[in-house]
Amino acid sequence: MLRSEALTEKGALVPIPGHRLVTRRDLLKYGAAGSAAVLLGPLAARSASASPSRLRAARTFNPAIQRGGTLHFARSIGPTTLDPANTIIAGDIYTLDKILEPLYLTNPAGQLVPWLASGYEVSSDHKTFTFALRSGAKFSNGKPLVAEDVVFSINRARKDAAGPLSFLDYAITDISAKGTGSVVFQLSQPWAPFLSDISVFANAILPANFGGQSEKEFFAAPIGTGPFTLEGSFTPDANSLTLKANPNYWQAGKPYLAAVEFLYVDNDNQRVLQIQGGQVDIIDTVPPANVSSLKASSGLSVDLFPAWQVDLLVMNERLAQFADRHVRRAITYAINRPALVHAASFGTAKPGGSFFPPSLEYYSASTSVLEFSLAQAKAELAQSKFPKGFSTKLLIDGGVQKWVTFAEIIKAQLQAIGINVQITPLDHSAFEATFQKYDYDMFIDYAINDISDPDEMASFEVDVKNGGSESYWSNYDNPTAINLVHKAEAEYDTAKRASLYAQIQEIVAEDAPFVALDYPPYIYAVSDHVHGFAVNPGGAYRLEDVWLT
Amino acid sequence: MLRYAARRVAAAVLVVFGVTLATFLLMHLEPGDPARAVLGIHATPTAVAALRREWGLSSSLPAQLGHFLSQLVRGDLGQSYIYGVSVSSLIGARIGETAALVAVATAFAVIITVPLSALAASRQNGWADHVVRAVSVVGLALPAFWFGIVLIEVFAVHLHLVPVGGAGSGFGGHLEALVLPGLTASFAMAPILVRSLRVGMLEVMDADFIAVARAKGLGDTRVLFAHVARNALVPTVTLLGLNIAYLIGSTVIVEQVFNLNGLGSLLLSSILNRDFPVVQAITLVLGTAVVFLNLATDLFAARLDPRIRLR
Repeated sequence: MLRSEALTEKGALVPIPGHRLVTRRDLLKYGAAGSAAVLLGPLAARSASASPSRLRAARTFNPAIQRGGTLHFARSIGPTTLDPANTIIAGDIYTLDKILEPLYLTNPAGQLVPWLASGYEVSSDHKTFTFALRSGAKFSNGKPLVAEDVVFSINRARKDAAGPLSFLDYAITDISAKGTGSVVFQLSQPWAPFLSDISVFANAILPANFGGQSEKEFFAAPIGTGPFTLEGSFTPDANSLTLKANPNYWQAGKPYLAAVEFLYVDNDNQRVLQIQGGQVDIIDTVPPANVSSLKASSGLSVDLFPAWQVDLLVMNERLAQFADRHVRRAITYAINRPALVHAASFGTAKPGGSFFPPSLEYYSASTSVLEFSLAQAKAELAQSKFPKGFSTKLLIDGGVQKWVTFAEIIKAQLQAIGINVQITPLDHSAFEATFQKYDYDMFIDYAINDISDPDEMASFEVDVKNGGSESYWSNYDNPTAINLVHKAEAEYDTAKRASLYAQIQEIVAEDAPFVALDYPPYIYAVSDHVHGFAVNPGGAYRLEDVWLT
Repeated sequence: MLRYAARRVAAAVLVVFGVTLATFLLMHLEPGDPARAVLGIHATPTAVAALRREWGLSSSLPAQLGHFLSQLVRGDLGQSYIYGVSVSSLIGARIGETAALVAVATAFAVIITVPLSALAASRQNGWADHVVRAVSVVGLALPAFWFGIVLIEVFAVHLHLVPVGGAGSGFGGHLEALVLPGLTASFAMAPILVRSLRVGMLEVMDADFIAVARAKGLGDTRVLFAHVARNALVPTVTLLGLNIAYLIGSTVIVEQVFNLNGLGSLLLSSILNRDFPVVQAITLVLGTAVVFLNLATDLFAARLDPRIRLR
């Protein structure tokens, strides 16, 4: 059966007072023009009048759409390469994903939607997937997308040992073309996250054999199926980069913009001042401390988009203190997360509970979280091998103001149960190297899910042997939880998967290997003359639906 | 004078070598791995090790230093780990921005210093003198980054006279974009220069030859600029030279505040990413610039005042 994917709607978001929180409903509405065309795509593709009907759909939803103009977008980090298989840097990803596209994509509502594929068939043993390619999809040089391009691109991505996300493709054993319009994937085992894995930017589709160019030539001016193409050739370390509308884009009538200029502004204050001064139209990574002053500025709004992200306090279970479950539970009880969020994120984030963020599929709201309670914290510590408390160190990336504030508050809160914390701030590289060598007692960092499926976060933080990080360098090892993670990977029934992930979240909440401190959103400031801008929970934004007035 | 210059150049080479060596050791002793920065948190230890081997980071420190020095002697600054292009091309693309910033800041410093010190010196203990002295103390106390943000708020965000940040396009746009950064950087050194030149001028004013000049019937302005200023200039030029050297270091902050793509911002991001070859090359370039600037200052001072003998 050929089917297009539309995953179940997840829980509605609670608006934070005083902020314009973008709900899934809003996102669907905003992106309606775009998403409608995409969601209707598979249907339209099968009808003879595909293009005009999609165009009409877009215009019916918002008759006011204006075309043309250049969007000036200041971002905190610039690109170093446009090779999708060889990067994990945000500046690279959110540039190349405007040029190169995958078979499936996560929309702003967090749902997987067919993109360069129009749908897929799956065998009864869940080990053979056949994707039908979208008819009419072309590269920016006018050449049609064919199955060979997909075979080449995903083979290249999965076989690249240095590819930061090549591990996502490990279930794939073979890829072959079936004619020009279909591609067959063989998997080593039933693998529920497969479609999510295929949607990651690293699996974006390039022309087979780089369209006859060398790899180096190709990535200097990549040819893709995306809404935009690169103007000129790529210069690493340039302070700006311009994308032009792709006249051959498969979504007829899009993009609305004539061009996008990305500017790289790593200083937080500069970005904020540039949008206040009207020099740019959108800025990313707005520091929470600046949200209220930006909201008071006229002509722009501050948008918060839910993220697949959670900030964690990780404890080193190789040390006797933290191997003691009672100590970890005592620390979790002792940290007042609502107070933490109020002080450090200025109300932009939500207090932490489960180690899955609420925006992630299969988040379980009924997880028994160890909520702040000084009495419970003292009771847990009394049952531990360290009833009188102890002294310990908290490692942080001292370059991030939020972590500094978090650390100060946690230090004060743990003092109340007799745990003396000494804060060790290091710069980012030294910080990462230090905790990855287990040269720490506790550290604070954020965990993100790169794909729409929660398996990545579950295995990275729970599967101590195969997850890739020894349970986020905590050495947390619970065989029951690990077993459930593996079961969930092979389970296709959504209700059963939901139950498995609920059990995992419950076990982790009880074991408390790390404290989920908060769930921060992506914060953007957007000028009032920009319309249709939305960010998906993975942090990616499509610009073909954006228009200017 | 030639012999003096040759000896100073030889000493400069030693100083620059010392700076390079210190940078090399500090960078490599600090924990942090560029391979991790490139490959990400999911990378397997095998992939990280392979990349480290490719970059030569798995060999011993002395071997790495030897490799770096032998490349350097051949004029090769190596490849950036993060950008994957040659370090000299990265530096080449950015050095102009930093040089322009230093030049504009120096020009502003001179434009601010000379009239203010002349005003203060000619009205010694008058209200103008007090105001200049007070303002220069306040200027000394202001951190450059804060002053920069205030300038942006007023002149860019509210008055829209100049851009908030960035390099601007075209020669005019570029110059316009350098106004606020140049002012910010110059304010860090103008107070010291004003105070130095004012004191210098006051001392000269008491000299007999000034009395002679006045007795000849020269006007106040002529006396001040042709006789007083020229003689008071030597210590100020020396101080200016030292301060430009200091300014080169402070471009790191000013470039951050104004989003200028110069060497300073590249240095900072490269340190954070542990992009060793880039950090080493930039320190080398900045170190060389500082050393030669000091030399140029001494030679210039000798030209201004023939009584200075360089040995």
